[in-house]
Amino acid sequence: MDTTKLIEKAKRLRYLILVSTTKAASGHPTSCLSAVELVTFLRFGGNWQESDRMIFSKGHAAPLLYALLVEVGSITQEELMTLRQFGSRVQGHPMPGMPEIEVATGSLGQGLSIGVGMALADKKFLKNKNQHYVLLGDGELAEGSVWEACNLASYYKLDNLTAIVDLNRLEQDGETSLGWNLDLYEARFKAFGWQVELVKNGHDFDEIKKAFLTKSIKKPKVILAKTIKGKGVSFLENQDNWHGKALTEIEFKQALAELKIVDQT
Amino acid sequence: MLNYQLKDKVATRQAYGQALVEMGKKHNQLVVLDAGVSNSTYTQLFRQKYPERYLPMFIAEQNMVGVAVGLAKRGLIPFLSTFAAFLTRAHDQLRMASYSNANLKICGSHCGVSIGQDGVSQMGLEDLAMFRSLYGATVLYPSDAVSTVKLVELAYSIPGLVYLRTTRQPLTVIYDLQTEFAVGNVKIVKKSESDKIAVLAAGITLHETLAAYEKLQTQGIKIRVIDVYCLEPLNVKNLMQALKGINKILTVEDHYREGGLGETVASVLKSKNYLIKSLSVNKLPQSGLPAALLADEEIDREAIIKAVKALI
Repeated sequence: MDTTKLIEKAKRLRYLILVSTTKAASGHPTSCLSAVELVTFLRFGGNWQESDRMIFSKGHAAPLLYALLVEVGSITQEELMTLRQFGSRVQGHPMPGMPEIEVATGSLGQGLSIGVGMALADKKFLKNKNQHYVLLGDGELAEGSVWEACNLASYYKLDNLTAIVDLNRLEQDGETSLGWNLDLYEARFKAFGWQVELVKNGHDFDEIKKAFLTKSIKKPKVILAKTIKGKGVSFLENQDNWHGKALTEIEFKQALAELKIVDQT
Repeated sequence: MLNYQLKDKVATRQAYGQALVEMGKKHNQLVVLDAGVSNSTYTQLFRQKYPERYLPMFIAEQNMVGVAVGLAKRGLIPFLSTFAAFLTRAHDQLRMASYSNANLKICGSHCGVSIGQDGVSQMGLEDLAMFRSLYGATVLYPSDAVSTVKLVELAYSIPGLVYLRTTRQPLTVIYDLQTEFAVGNVKIVKKSESDKIAVLAAGITLHETLAAYEKLQTQGIKIRVIDVYCLEPLNVKNLMQALKGINKILTVEDHYREGGLGETVASVLKSKNYLIKSLSVNKLPQSGLPAALLADEEIDREAIIKAVKALI
């Protein structure tokens, strides 16, 4: 996909995130919006292979994952609209039983370990070329288990593993310990033996592309992308107290107007 | 082929390592993970035999569980181990593994006060409670080398999360190699028509119970001895069948009372007409010889004899 099409795809994902969480009247839309371009490029930037795998370690970005499943044709938009309803498999946080969702996430700091296990299996035992991608939030980098996983990934030289960190600065009740200090994050990952790709604007497809296309050899790779929580909607962008909150119907309409999206429901 | 003889003394942790080597011959998908204690859990035996299928995880238990989930999701069958005490550190990862329907086989060694001198920080005293409460988990607790091998085979054959609790101290082989073990069942080890009371135990306390059995027999008291090798799930019909003719039960375990063997039995038999007394670890354990610690916690043969007499 060229950049124009990627921008359109990102717009479409934003719409699906907002429409589903507004209908559910709960969820974490702002944590989804920050990662839209990263995930859009990952899946539609031209690099993705059918056998590749993706884990949302930041499980609260589930609506983005479900929106993506709609866009790749794995689930219908109608099913997406059952988000968080009793009896729906489109649950608040990802649970197995849906296309591409092999593991439960939502308890933070665990997805990278699982990605390490999958990458290790593919590299050492199954000996294939599958790539593994793990989307992490910056907040969960405070979990010690993430660094246990980082240590093991470099020990096993997992160059089939890419961590994508959506560095939106904000966690549930305020700023993370390191905020947007990308240099410090870079130093930490490098100290753990990782190849680091910095993306200073995590909403710019040209920058994202460079980071994704750089090959790592005998090292796991991390893309540290500075992003804006709530990106695309002025009253959500980089704001405190918008974690885990859905928009009202009125706010939803305002958001669509800003995004220049015509409501398709 | 493993060839344990009755009355051999083998620690179940050692039998676990030997069982993995046997299983490794047959099953190429079997991989072994350990958190830096392979010479204590005896996974070093597998490590030496199949170095390419042994994956060191170093001292990082939480990550070990997550990595095992990833390996399992790619079709491998991971057996992971560390001290039972340190698995509690990965409770959340284990919980999420259960929701991921991950096919994990987990061994916790060094359970209970019977590890002795190393002291309470190294003792698995909460592991049964933790694993019993995990969604869909199977909890197995072998008492000798033969049952360890059989339960490792059983664990391999059951899909999902299976926990196996092993003991540090050498234990006498009480089963012959033809003995069969099944999920949800118990094993009667001693039985007579005149049994007035059943003592239910597993692991080292089963051996304390057998010692008590011998002594009580010389005093004309017969007890039925039942090995509760599968704590979860424990089938009520199977248990009641083993208890046939008896309504007084004593349970003995090297684990805290909360969530352990005694509470398992009590919950399975609730609303049935049994009198149940339980012996478990109830004081703050310390360093010392295993026998001294078992005695101090009143889960040794003498405590069992005393409790049996009080119940009769």
